[in-house]
Amino acid sequence: MSQTLLISGPPGCGKTTWILNQIQSHLGPCGFLRLAGYPDEGLLQARDGGIDLAWLQDQCPGLLDLADPDQALAPRADNLLALIELPQFQPPTDSGLAGVDRRAIPQLEALHLSPDEHIHFGRDAVLPRQDTLDFSSLQAWERNLAGAVWDPASLSSFWFELVNGAYGDVYRAKALMSLPDGRAFFCNWMVSREGFQFLPLQTLASPDGRPPRLSRLVVQGKDLDPAAIEVTLADCLLNDAVLEIQQARLRQQEAPSHPSPAA
Amino acid sequence: MAHAVISCLHANLAALEAVLADIDQQGIATITCLGDLVGYGLQPNEVVDLVRQRAIPTCQGCWDEDIIEGLNACDCSYPSQLAERRGHLAHQWTAEQLSEENKAFLASLPLSLRRDRLLFVHGSPNSQHEYLLPDMDAFAALERVESAGAETLFCGHTHRPYVRELRDGSIRVRVRQMPGEPGGVAEAEDTELRLPLRRIINAGSVGEPRHGNTQATYVIHDEDTGAVAIREVPYEVERTCSAIVDAGLPTIFAWRLRHGFEYAERADDASHVCER
Repeated sequence: MSQTLLISGPPGCGKTTWILNQIQSHLGPCGFLRLAGYPDEGLLQARDGGIDLAWLQDQCPGLLDLADPDQALAPRADNLLALIELPQFQPPTDSGLAGVDRRAIPQLEALHLSPDEHIHFGRDAVLPRQDTLDFSSLQAWERNLAGAVWDPASLSSFWFELVNGAYGDVYRAKALMSLPDGRAFFCNWMVSREGFQFLPLQTLASPDGRPPRLSRLVVQGKDLDPAAIEVTLADCLLNDAVLEIQQARLRQQEAPSHPSPAA
Repeated sequence: MAHAVISCLHANLAALEAVLADIDQQGIATITCLGDLVGYGLQPNEVVDLVRQRAIPTCQGCWDEDIIEGLNACDCSYPSQLAERRGHLAHQWTAEQLSEENKAFLASLPLSLRRDRLLFVHGSPNSQHEYLLPDMDAFAALERVESAGAETLFCGHTHRPYVRELRDGSIRVRVRQMPGEPGGVAEAEDTELRLPLRRIINAGSVGEPRHGNTQATYVIHDEDTGAVAIREVPYEVERTCSAIVDAGLPTIFAWRLRHGFEYAERADDASHVCER
């Protein structure tokens, strides 16, 4: 029997991580949809731009994209687990399905999705209790990094500066970043959690030009300085010439050695 | 006799003034400077002027060399593209500000200073660009001190002060000679050379501390007793940070200084010697 869950919560509370765990432990097919969420007074939602879906599909290659109109019309498997993520700053006033943000209903209906259950981080005991913040004001800034390739050491420095306040009071940052050797990383940080994650994607690109995969940076916080971030990004990303030099070296290392001609 | 060793001033006048006041307060008259008078900070001329005015014996740091020679170091100078871009920005700004007279002074600095068995260098006896980190391989560290003919080696460059004692050092040598060579035997016996205690004393940084807080650091060494004190001196960090922002340099320079974070990130291969 299929099940559709709607999971809501504030930025960085662990919605995607919890969803990943559910997908990995479910024996049948799974689908995922991320709704954009809605701004509250003084609180801006960040445009995820597909980071969560790309990360989950990399970790769970068979994952269905429920935002795909073809999926909406296709017959659903009996044992499908459909997981809907909804960023939501404040806890719902009503419990259960009555607490679903009414603004989300038309979008769900258009995709033929009807949640069987609604659970919210900080309200429902089935979810882990995270140290979520009480947000009063929040800016959001995002940057499409499609085709961008990072100097690896510069990425490490930039991320350290970003999460330690060099570009404003950052509460939450997540990104998908590409490296010249074809690897990509899901970078994830939340002010209330210790440390940060640099998780490698399973899908590798060939070290030959700019990878076609999604790449994006999303930041939420206060007093953000986008101009300073842009300056640093420009100093961290590789231009075509440098990228080619680095990738040519990698291709040379990877190339099978030619057998010496027979005497 | 106690003497003070300072390093890596990085054009931070407020920090240098605070450190010199602290040294004066200790009643110490002998000061040695391990270079990097300029770079990143906003008062290169004022800092060089003060060092010259106090007639502090100084050896040349990597930044002092780069300002004179230009940026022609090999890849090792910067551990990332980001650090390189920022370093070049600071280099260009400093080169434009520094007077010809002060450039000539930096060009005249020796690569090392020696006082009896005490050797003073910026990076290592090999190069101003080589990092002697506290966790460097003990044999390599011992080799740096011993081959330079020193008992105590004073260095800077890492911006992290430390005292490292190299005890119980020995070098085992086995000389093989082929039979038939003059005086040759099939195999010679091992020869083991026992090395006396050697020390590396890193003075940290006056102008750009990277040891976890913002206080300027230097060391006091007593030549008679061998005692070493790492001094941490508070200074007006905000004065320097405001000057950086007012001058139009990237605010990230001020942010790093204000938090005591490392600016020029640690090199991947700290023992690499620049082949410029």
